[in-house]
Amino acid sequence: MWTVFSASAIGKRNLEQGAAGQDASHCVVTDDVLVAIVCDGAGSVREGRTGSQFIARMLAEQLSSTLQAERNLPEVQAEGCARLETTIRSAIEAVRTRLADLAAAHQLTLHDFSCTLLGCVASPGGGCFFHIGDGFAIQQSAAGDSVLSLPENGEYADETYFVTDENWKDHLRLTPLLAPERGCVIGLMSDGTAPFAVNRARSGFFRPFIDPIAAYLRKATAPNGNEALRNLLESPRACEISADDKTLLLALVL
Amino acid sequence: MNTVIPDVALIDNSDERAPLVLVLDCSGSMQEENKIQLLNEGLKALAVDLKADPIAARCGRVLVISFGGDSNVEIMGDWTDAMDFAPPELRAGGLTPLGAAMRCALDEVESQKSQMRTAGVSYKRPIIMLLSDGEATDEWRQVAAECKSAETAHKVNIMAIGIGDEANKETLGLFSNKGALSLSGLKFKELFIWLSRSIRAVSRAPSGGTVQLNPVDSWAKLST
Repeated sequence: MWTVFSASAIGKRNLEQGAAGQDASHCVVTDDVLVAIVCDGAGSVREGRTGSQFIARMLAEQLSSTLQAERNLPEVQAEGCARLETTIRSAIEAVRTRLADLAAAHQLTLHDFSCTLLGCVASPGGGCFFHIGDGFAIQQSAAGDSVLSLPENGEYADETYFVTDENWKDHLRLTPLLAPERGCVIGLMSDGTAPFAVNRARSGFFRPFIDPIAAYLRKATAPNGNEALRNLLESPRACEISADDKTLLLALVL
Repeated sequence: MNTVIPDVALIDNSDERAPLVLVLDCSGSMQEENKIQLLNEGLKALAVDLKADPIAARCGRVLVISFGGDSNVEIMGDWTDAMDFAPPELRAGGLTPLGAAMRCALDEVESQKSQMRTAGVSYKRPIIMLLSDGEATDEWRQVAAECKSAETAHKVNIMAIGIGDEANKETLGLFSNKGALSLSGLKFKELFIWLSRSIRAVSRAPSGGTVQLNPVDSWAKLST
């Protein structure tokens, strides 16, 4: 059911300092259940890159296997995503604990691994976005309707919230999806990608950006599609718009 | 297969908005000396000059509130991006409910800010420009105090401007911590061009900083 593409580009700011990219993404699809995660590691901490890679991979795998074991398929529910929420919260809790153990083994703390969390669980019946901090998640239906999870920033523009924060539960936000149908596009992106991928009203994708990409990806093989996305994110024009690391994960229902 | 995706538009959609509320006196006295007509022409000059600057056209958000006329205080249409701003045709008549008009402006600024926050759009400190040629005919002192404290709390920047000799500069001056200025002659057009240039400067300023606006000598009467 799902065709997934993703790419990350290191932003100018990190390139100039010889630093590695702080973004990470991971995706697991099992029996039509999509679990996709994008994380953005904080540039200001020691191990932001390790944190984002660890959380993206471990959480996607943990959530996917829990959902399979519980047979807790994401479905459209009148009450929103209450049933999924418990599963998502305990998966985050478990992965945070493992990251805290890893940190302790290196005489570090969770704070040294600070990263944001942007995730999506979706199956033919529905699903939800789950989100801590900045970045955007967008579901665009074939008819053009959009469901969004918007960034949550602190008081100042460069302050955000992290899954590694003590009070992460206060900032975890869940957004129910529309039942994914043929032609729908789900996108998860870090804040470096948002200025050109999201429209001015922040109500959906910027259509002149996403439509040509979706049309191209519908016909692309995975390696080609991923490479094409990376070329786009690394293009001089994209780098001119944002100096941040850029990640874009797109899941299409063909 | 080629790994460059054709025809993808890469445009920066993330500009911070610069909200501007114009609170304009349309009371009966604005009919004298062709003032209302000059005000309308000034608004048109503002629209043209904002649209001539690509950044101001994208970042500026404009709302016009008129007071006087038949319905006392009227919000003339919705908030619009400067690139879509079509100035209303103002008519003069009626009283001068200055207090109610400024109350409306403060409320509009806060609700616009909250809408932008909800949508994840960031914004600069909004500007309210008040233009009046007369004496307030409603209860205005409480609102004036609220305007000053909103300014002190950095919620808004207020410019109070008197038109002609009949304008009560003392009253107007109590709406802003900077006091009031006087329009020199009837230089509406110069005033609105200056305002447009100020919005241009604000649109380009880094967030959180203060913006040095152009000197006001093109339109302000500096004596008095």
